[in-house]
Amino acid sequence: MPRPVPGQFVMVESAGGGLPFWRRAFSVAGFGAGEESCWLDLMIREVGPGTAFWRGVPEGTGTRVLGPLGNGFPLEEPPRSVALVAGGIGLPPLLYAARELAGAGTRCDLFVGAATAEELIDPEGCARVAADTGGVLVPCTDDGTAGEAGLVTGAVERRLRDGAAWSELWACGPNPMLRAVAELGRAYGLPALLAMEERMACGLGVCLGCVVPTPDGGHLRVCTEGPVLRGDAVDWEAL
Amino acid sequence: MSGVDLTTAVGALELSNPVLAASGTFGYGLDLVDLCPPESLGGVVTKGLSPRPRAGAPMPRIAETASGMLNAIGLENIGVEAFCREKLPELRARGAVVIVNVFGESPGDYLRVIERCEAEEGIHGYELNVSCPNVSSGGMEFGHDPILLQALTRSCREATARPLWVKLSPNAPDLAGTARAAVDGGADALALINTIRGMAIDPWARRPMLARTFGGLSGPAILPVALRMVFEVHRALPEVPLVGLGGIETGLDVVRFLLAGASAVQVGTATFRRPRAMLEILGELDDYCDRTGTERVRDLVGALEV
Repeated sequence: MPRPVPGQFVMVESAGGGLPFWRRAFSVAGFGAGEESCWLDLMIREVGPGTAFWRGVPEGTGTRVLGPLGNGFPLEEPPRSVALVAGGIGLPPLLYAARELAGAGTRCDLFVGAATAEELIDPEGCARVAADTGGVLVPCTDDGTAGEAGLVTGAVERRLRDGAAWSELWACGPNPMLRAVAELGRAYGLPALLAMEERMACGLGVCLGCVVPTPDGGHLRVCTEGPVLRGDAVDWEAL
Repeated sequence: MSGVDLTTAVGALELSNPVLAASGTFGYGLDLVDLCPPESLGGVVTKGLSPRPRAGAPMPRIAETASGMLNAIGLENIGVEAFCREKLPELRARGAVVIVNVFGESPGDYLRVIERCEAEEGIHGYELNVSCPNVSSGGMEFGHDPILLQALTRSCREATARPLWVKLSPNAPDLAGTARAAVDGGADALALINTIRGMAIDPWARRPMLARTFGGLSGPAILPVALRMVFEVHRALPEVPLVGLGGIETGLDVVRFLLAGASAVQVGTATFRRPRAMLEILGELDDYCDRTGTERVRDLVGALEV
């Protein structure tokens, strides 16, 4: 497998290929390659039968993985500094991006939002990854049990208002959060790059199931034109 | 591969093998070219083409179901002009067998698509989509009314000498009646079945899973229904070439459709799960013939023992 760009995804078959019927799209959280093999780091949160499947699977079970697919974040021309905004299980591509950017001279400030303190994913690890880029971790929880209370986009906005000078905003999370990041990007004149998620049957651009509406009345396929899309490429009102 | 003869024919159209990509599951034939080259298949049925581009249905458009899925894409397509200019030249250069799936909201729309395609080399036939369950007008209306269907088929017949297939709806009240109407209108072959109308509900949100509420069910869940319909139409109209589809996942599924009376098959939803599914299926079909001493795939057509 070629080295995935952060933001790219893989389609993973349930072992046995029966049910769940579709493969599932998972964003790549990490990658390493040896002489003849490679490994993929995926983070899976149990939300339904497709993800629950992996809880009970014995270690060493084989499956089929297709990827890397789609377009990731533009790491070949990294920004000077970037706010990485993660909502819930939107963390993996941003954590991977921050790891890949360590040493590239890009400061990554990592904003991570979760419902409660228990749902924050590995805050110590996230803080280390951000620190390796010269950035900081800003955890936020809806109930205030850890970090700043309230929405993660609120934490970003407060810093922008106070003059934070990131050159770009990168985000992954639920659509309302992505929309808020797109609006912050527009308000502060910053490119907002958003890793989107939609129901996918194929992940390859042929089922046309994962489209999002564009301002000109057309569509973009999240799997093929995305999953990383510019905030102004999406018609958020129509989504 | 062994010495098995995989060739088949749908009427006068000779195919290198009986596995075609079903409309709406393989883009315009070039989308998965690195994983499944179109020229390695018996043929490619394009995404349904209308005279002008269509944006399709709102989201969500797809839902997973037991052994299958629902879709309500609403015939999003780039339009016949863009297909002929941007896609057809490479398909032609690769030597792919191209069947254009034709869709319209009126008989005039169907004719406009065919007339534009008639100006091009490298199109081997047409498949009239009269059975899409996901559009508000046209499509399925023609497929449900034998009188309308016969008239539509006849006017398309007069517009082309190329092979003309009609893709039948499993949702039609009278399957044999619509099949006969298409043949009487001049169809060379019938493709069956299109998806079966269904719906899915999210119990937590208490809402339909699809924006359009209803969608077309595909995947292995519908294979027994498709097989029965192919068998019934073959029994009613034994001289009419059939192209079978519905839930095919393996080479043995292909054999099942051939035995029931299909001369060729289309594979659709399996490609979503496994983009190389059609190539794997061809290998399995070859293996089946090898193991059973079947020298020619076409000997399987209609060979069901009942």
